[in-house]
Amino acid sequence: MSLRSRLRSWSSAMRGRSGMENDMDAELRFHLEAYAADLRTSGLTEEEAYRKARLAFGNIEAHKQDVRQSRGLRFWDDLRADLTYTLRTLRKNPGFATIAILSLALGIGANTTIFTLANTILFDKLGVPHPDGLRLLSWTADDDKGVVHSMWGSYGPAHNHGFSSTSFSYPVYLALRTQSAGVADLFAFKPLEGNRRLTATIDGAAEVVTAELVSGNYYSVLNVKPQIGRLIANADDARAGSGPVIVISDRYWSSRFGRSHDVVGKQIALNRIPVTVIGVTPSGFTGASSVQVASDVFLPFSMQPMVAPFGRASLLEDKELWWTLVMGRLKPGVTEEQARAVIDLHLHQAVRSTMKIPAGGDVPRASLERGSQGENFAGKDQGQSVRILMGLVAFVLLLGCVNIANLLLARSATRKREISVRLALGAGRFRIIRQVLTESLLLSALGGIAGMLLGYWTRNFIPHFLSKAWDTTGIQAHFNWRVLLFSSGVSLAAGVLFGLAPAFNSARNDLNTGVKDRGIRTSQGRKSRAGQLLVILQISLSMILVTAAGLFLRTIINLAKADVGFDSSNLLLFQVQPPESRYAGAKSQRLLHEIEERVRIVPGVEGVAISSESLIAHGISNELFFIPGQPFARGEEHSSNINDVNADFFATMRIPILAGRTFNQTDAPTKNLVVVMNQAGAKKFFPGQNPLRRQLEKYDDGPVRVTIIGICKDAKYDDLRQQPPPTIYGFYRQSQEPMQMTFEVRSRELPQQLTPALRNAVRSVDKDLPLVDVRTQREQIDATTAEQRLFAALATGFGILALAIASVGVYGLMAFSVASRRNEIGIRMALGAQARQVLRMILRETGVLAIAGVAVGAAASLGCAKLLRSMLFGLTPNDPLTLGLSVAILLGAALLAGFLPARRAARIDPLEAVRHD
Amino acid sequence: MPKELDLLQGTLDMLILKAVSLGPLHGYGILLRIQQLAGERIEVQQGSLYPALARLEHNGSLQSEWGESENNRKAKYYRLTAAGRRQLKTETESWHRMADLIAGILKATPEEL
Repeated sequence: MSLRSRLRSWSSAMRGRSGMENDMDAELRFHLEAYAADLRTSGLTEEEAYRKARLAFGNIEAHKQDVRQSRGLRFWDDLRADLTYTLRTLRKNPGFATIAILSLALGIGANTTIFTLANTILFDKLGVPHPDGLRLLSWTADDDKGVVHSMWGSYGPAHNHGFSSTSFSYPVYLALRTQSAGVADLFAFKPLEGNRRLTATIDGAAEVVTAELVSGNYYSVLNVKPQIGRLIANADDARAGSGPVIVISDRYWSSRFGRSHDVVGKQIALNRIPVTVIGVTPSGFTGASSVQVASDVFLPFSMQPMVAPFGRASLLEDKELWWTLVMGRLKPGVTEEQARAVIDLHLHQAVRSTMKIPAGGDVPRASLERGSQGENFAGKDQGQSVRILMGLVAFVLLLGCVNIANLLLARSATRKREISVRLALGAGRFRIIRQVLTESLLLSALGGIAGMLLGYWTRNFIPHFLSKAWDTTGIQAHFNWRVLLFSSGVSLAAGVLFGLAPAFNSARNDLNTGVKDRGIRTSQGRKSRAGQLLVILQISLSMILVTAAGLFLRTIINLAKADVGFDSSNLLLFQVQPPESRYAGAKSQRLLHEIEERVRIVPGVEGVAISSESLIAHGISNELFFIPGQPFARGEEHSSNINDVNADFFATMRIPILAGRTFNQTDAPTKNLVVVMNQAGAKKFFPGQNPLRRQLEKYDDGPVRVTIIGICKDAKYDDLRQQPPPTIYGFYRQSQEPMQMTFEVRSRELPQQLTPALRNAVRSVDKDLPLVDVRTQREQIDATTAEQRLFAALATGFGILALAIASVGVYGLMAFSVASRRNEIGIRMALGAQARQVLRMILRETGVLAIAGVAVGAAASLGCAKLLRSMLFGLTPNDPLTLGLSVAILLGAALLAGFLPARRAARIDPLEAVRHD
Repeated sequence: MPKELDLLQGTLDMLILKAVSLGPLHGYGILLRIQQLAGERIEVQQGSLYPALARLEHNGSLQSEWGESENNRKAKYYRLTAAGRRQLKTETESWHRMADLIAGILKATPEEL
């Protein structure tokens, strides 16, 4: 009984179907003729012999059917018959087929789109061999007693208590790498993004590039091979300055060098330091940090002191700043816990030998995290949004399924007679169920294919929406087997879901009543009860989606109305990043001041503001401030946001100065540091007192005093959704550190038109300085609310769709009910019921359905809306206005949908209706 | 002529395999061979022979090919495969065991209990 022979026999039978049928006929014919011949020799006439042979053989067709079944063909024959039949009925009912396939396609398409995104964000792994073997090093420490105070990188609360981070100081990394070599191959990397991007000068043209610092063993441990040229090796990373080389990513190779092979050996300048391009990484490789987007260039850590000094001595020697990311692969045979214990021990030693540990100080403890997704920022940032979107589209699909179930149910009522006839002719109930299920599965397959195409076309819609207008390196969602598997699974599940109830309903058909002409009438009670439940379900699902749409719409309205505290119209923003190799220390302030003066005289410019943080851009700088005499302590109560700005900042941004003055020329050269404070800051540091001319103390290398010379009105800082935080504005020209600044240029007309003139103004100061991230202040604010707007747009679309589907459902049910109750209504009217009473009766029935659906939906919405809390602004999840409006909209829509059938009922002519039957 | 017996449930496959094991046969030939071996005391439903043949071929116990019959007609001949031979052997053995067992039970007398 080998499976192989069965498969061979089945497939040859399937392939040579007609051959197999001919064979079978010939074989049976031979049998009959041979038997007949034998019978003739015993003296029968030819005719009699044949008759007797056939009689002895039995029912030829039944035996043939058995032969086919023996060969495993029966199932496929039935399937083919079912499919042919289904296609024929669908063609006869193009309206039904279109609605069913369309609502499925929308549901499955939406699910596919969102899942493609989820797949990219939640499941994608680094494009290297065996990504699952990678471990990202992290550490945890106490909040207050930790020894690490200076950090560049992300950190967050740890699982149980304290906080955790993945950043290490470079000396600690070096110690870990050599001492833990027995248990793991460790390598280091650090992406340079946002404000830390580098300026690349290629053939005389300057632009900003994202970069990743990598250790010499980075590529060998990741096991990545170059596409062309060679990759960074240990020799390039031996000591500071030893490797003036870069590797470029495939994406940058395409976009900047047109995939020319001459790029290997090309000299370019990074922040004015000449480096040589030595190779290109393969196309799927995105670096160790991000799974989504590759950095433009990769350079060895040895070049950090020259290319990216960030105003300090070499970070490679810095024992205080923790900034290096460390990843590794465990040695074969070493367990996770062994490796962690060894690394933890060495981390402890390395920290003790490089840092001063105060009494009771808490030394970080090492742990190993999954490294297959890099730092997994996308998963952490957008995981929640993606889950909410998944929930939203799941409701849409569910609604689509209920809709089709309702349509099928209505159809199965009209097909009752046909099915009864088939049952009477001997079809098994299982055959009937199978036939109806085949129909729903065919529908779901067609809808699924359409949905997958829809999902494929719209796969980049959401990443596009969520990415910033001025940044082209967004997430690319891509199709893979997991998406296909998901969509096929969803289609199949949908088909079974909406097909099962109608299928069993059909098979439960009562033969007797079904064949009789009035079959529909007798079992109408049960039929319409199922229909009523489905309509209630539709209304409640719609209620959930409409409520979600309302919440999100109100959120974006609130966001748009939110007072930011400054005038965001007609402001053009751009960044200037003076390379430190040319503008060390305070030279950058002189450069920025010169640019400020040049930009001010560009025609059309009304004012120029400069700030170290762009407003409403999700960027925060803060520092600890003390009333002079207070002891130093870490804690939230001393922290204030800071922003270094120019003298015109307040006038240009239109933030009123309430008391005192803004900065002026006389402040610039002095060492007497002056600051302007907002109202929230005044309330925090000087409650009930006048803060003007008071002093605060902050710590740089030692204590530094700042004098408050002005109080300004509160303005929002990093986030539209937060109240204006305490903010202390410093004067940028008093800073001695190199700065990356944002220019905010106010213009009379459309600010975008200024860009070329501004570019020229900056170029006239330094031709190698590119304008970075040119955008309007409005675009900047919108970028921080993209998620909310996306949710509002999708939820509104889905809500309208849901409302339409539910209305059609109510209409269909009530129209069916009126049509099948013509007789009853006619009798009522003949007995004296007024048209208005009939109208009210039908409307009342509609209303009962609607109220039931709305009640269930409202309860469900209240439950679901809690999950949206973090996405809302200016209202609570159980916002009574939204809920009330949703209830009103749904009741209104349902009554409207029920009104047409009700009016038809009211116009029934009693004489005709009673005579009709 | 003694009365014809109906075929016991499930024995047709075994009889077909046995008949074919003595030499390749066409369907009608198998019928005749079984009846001959049974001394005409057994009745095989002619039509049910073919689903059984198809099943055995589907399972890989039989192989078929078209050949010439004794009176020069095209006929489909069945041959035992190695798998079929094994199947015949195990089915024969289990048949014997079962027959002995049943015979033993039926021979039982009150004294033996």
